[in-house]
Amino acid sequence: MKQDTAILNRDNLYAEEEIDSKDILRILEKYARSRGGLVAILEEIQSKYGYLPETALRTVSERTGRSLVDIYGVAAFYRFFSLKPKGKHLACVCLGTACHVRGAQEVVEEFEQQLGITAGQTTEDREFTLETVNCLGACALGPVVVIDGHYFSKVERSKVKQLLDQGRKGLDKLDIEKDERIFPVDVRCPHCNQSFKDETFIIDGYPSLKANVAMDHKQGWIRMSSLYGSYNVCTEHEIPEDMIVSFICPHCDSEIPGTSTCSECEAPMMPMPVDGGGRIKICTRRGCKNRMLDLV
Amino acid sequence: MKRMGENGYVKQSFVQDTETLRLSSVNELKELRSILFETLDENKPRLVICAGTACHASGSNGIIRIVKKYILEKRLADKVALRITGCHGFCEMGPFILTEPQQAFYVQVGLGDVPRIVEALLSDKYVEDLLYRDPATGEKYYSRDDIPFFKHQQRSILGLNEKIDPIRIYDYIAQGGYSVLEEVFSKQNADWIVQQVKRSGLRGRGGAGFPTGLKWEMLAKQSGDQGKFLVCNADEGDPGAYMDRSVLEGNPHSIIEGMIIGAYGTRATEGIVYVRNEYPLAVKHLKIALKQAQELGLLGDNILGTGFSFDIKIVIGAGAFVCGEETALIRSIEGKSGEPRQRPPFPVQKGVDGKPTVINNVETWANIPLIFKSGADKFATVGTENNTGTKIFSLVGKIKNTGLVEVPMGITVKEIVYDIGGGASGKAELKAVQTGGPSGGCIPANMFDVSVDYESLAEVGSIMGSGGMIVMDENTCMVDIARYFMNFLKNESCGKCFACRKGTQRMYEILDDISNGKGTLEHLDLLKELAEVVKDTTMCGLGQTASNPVLSTLRYFTDEYIEHIEKKHCPAGVCKALITYSINENCVGCQACIRVCPEGAITGEKKQRHVIDAAKCIKCGACRSVCKVEAVDVV
Repeated sequence: MKQDTAILNRDNLYAEEEIDSKDILRILEKYARSRGGLVAILEEIQSKYGYLPETALRTVSERTGRSLVDIYGVAAFYRFFSLKPKGKHLACVCLGTACHVRGAQEVVEEFEQQLGITAGQTTEDREFTLETVNCLGACALGPVVVIDGHYFSKVERSKVKQLLDQGRKGLDKLDIEKDERIFPVDVRCPHCNQSFKDETFIIDGYPSLKANVAMDHKQGWIRMSSLYGSYNVCTEHEIPEDMIVSFICPHCDSEIPGTSTCSECEAPMMPMPVDGGGRIKICTRRGCKNRMLDLV
Repeated sequence: MKRMGENGYVKQSFVQDTETLRLSSVNELKELRSILFETLDENKPRLVICAGTACHASGSNGIIRIVKKYILEKRLADKVALRITGCHGFCEMGPFILTEPQQAFYVQVGLGDVPRIVEALLSDKYVEDLLYRDPATGEKYYSRDDIPFFKHQQRSILGLNEKIDPIRIYDYIAQGGYSVLEEVFSKQNADWIVQQVKRSGLRGRGGAGFPTGLKWEMLAKQSGDQGKFLVCNADEGDPGAYMDRSVLEGNPHSIIEGMIIGAYGTRATEGIVYVRNEYPLAVKHLKIALKQAQELGLLGDNILGTGFSFDIKIVIGAGAFVCGEETALIRSIEGKSGEPRQRPPFPVQKGVDGKPTVINNVETWANIPLIFKSGADKFATVGTENNTGTKIFSLVGKIKNTGLVEVPMGITVKEIVYDIGGGASGKAELKAVQTGGPSGGCIPANMFDVSVDYESLAEVGSIMGSGGMIVMDENTCMVDIARYFMNFLKNESCGKCFACRKGTQRMYEILDDISNGKGTLEHLDLLKELAEVVKDTTMCGLGQTASNPVLSTLRYFTDEYIEHIEKKHCPAGVCKALITYSINENCVGCQACIRVCPEGAITGEKKQRHVIDAAKCIKCGACRSVCKVEAVDVV
């Protein structure tokens, strides 16, 4: 099914990263009653660690009662799973038919040459993993390359070096000063309609948005960047990653209710009116970047 | 606040708190629709922007942000609206902005163009220089519907994508979504549903074309004591095809509605959508849509107070082409390796968890609400007698207008390629169209008059498949294409049947030899023999059709094979071992190629014709891709 990338390489199998068996147990618990069984469990482990660590597979085997070889069989069957850790960045070249007839093979070769590896491998410095995929379904724009989740269309051989450079620098980084797609929004309390803007506290070069947050019987202030597209915040008390907090209006002291749930993490989403028309919904989980700006 | 089921509940919740609204009867659904319909203002100026995967890749998300920024800054929210949608089909032109009610179609829009477009829309004018122009004639189009790419289509399914934001269930309901449930639930006649689907003549859009109504009838007859399953196959594995991705991303509720109707008709108890993980946006939109439908009371226990219960879960594939095959897909849903098994028993007898199961493709499900909206008889008038309805194709490759096209069945390949696709993308002439993915075949240019229906395509040695249509020109080598597909198939063969596991590998090796100039004429006989054996002795659809790429290229392009073998020459200039690079008199001596050559094989002074050293050249094509004056020849 899958080519040599899946062959068990014992040297690489032991993770440098500590695998917390509690995390694995939580994943097992989550999928105990849902469809998809083992495949879904392995998918989540793969997404969390970037590969399937042996310790994790052993825990899965112990808990599900399926033999390790059985689990290995499933892991080796599907292309998505990897038994080796991947690099910091993932470059993926589409080899669908539409991309193929437009020269995707040459693009792969150029990536291989630039990185000094073949498709399926990771560079020695663990910076890049190069993969190919059967089809990403963006066929009108072929050849297509995806680096760390960012799509690039009509890629030619001569563009490859530049893409790698961009990837190394980090494609998720935003240049707040130069990027015109980032802009300030003034958010108001849905109850008293007073602005959260705080001219005295500057984040990203703009007045921040101030509110209070409550968690674990503790209250404190939070100041968020007013830029739509920036996730910078300052808080009085440290909010642990993944914790859900409730927001309280600093003017009228009422709690801002979550009305819908986040499509990414299931935490409540908090809607607030935006100056100029419309409303913004913010996920209340620390670390979740889900924000939706609706114009009404 | 009024409680569920009370008079005025829907209206009051709609005004106060739409997010907690839950419908408890068919009448409440009707009420919700009429409220939503009143709030629809079709004359309000509106920007429609696609944020599907392809447009996203072209930068549409940046455009959307700038539109929001501009509307907020200028306080225009009352005057102009924004709708973010799924795929419209013309992916090559992204990112684009469609305006309503004008229907102006601005293509390949840049961030700086947004203010001009908004202002023009507000004063009912046009930004002339951004309107779509026909690349051949230069003709400018003021209305999207006049553009040849759209004009010759019949977009029953895709046409809805531009009307709704896929993450808003109210958009779908306002456009008549879920309205079919009103009729279906009030009739209380499961058999009527199955008969309507049979009357419509709908055939499975996944490739084989099995009559959907017949499949449903078989499921309906199965005992449902232990539960029955409906599966939506969204494991769109054919490379070069993305119809299902666009429907799932752009209109997930149509699939859910189709499955609810199907469940009511067949008395299925559980639904599953099996979607491939290469489509993250489709997964996301589907998850949101399922949640919304559950919260509104359209899925789950006692749907709309009818006593009928049905829910849908999502299972994400992990990247295996063979999982598109029914029995492999079932095993994958069960969390096992996706190896097919012998049929019978058929899935309709023993499917998921050993229970009766019907599997239909995404596009098939999307057709179900349409059948009931228009009526089965009217649906059957589209297309030809045994091939009713429309079919979406992914028209890609060496074609001018690439994208998704939806046409009535029975139209010719020529109409699709020339009237809609606009013909060849480059100077080279078109040679063939490949349909049906790795299981399909090639249709040569002199047979473009063939009608696109299940039977006619099979007659010429190809298949309808799920709808991939890859256009090839004189620069595409047919030996290379056969080799490409065979490489794909040998990697994706699950290995259960010996003939498929080894046969695809051997066919690949022979094709590889031919493309490397090591082929003999005896190889061709061996290829044919192998192809027939693999076809006859394998168990599942993947193996039985694995020979098609070889057989169909051999059937129509034997000359190309022979040229590779006897003259050691690749006429398309693709097979590396058989070509040489040289520089012709067009060369202006710019040294661009010298700078990119990884082997230092090119020499030459500035402003003088350069030379390639054939001994050093690795035929990587880097020089050709940077040359601006077409001075690099491949022979």
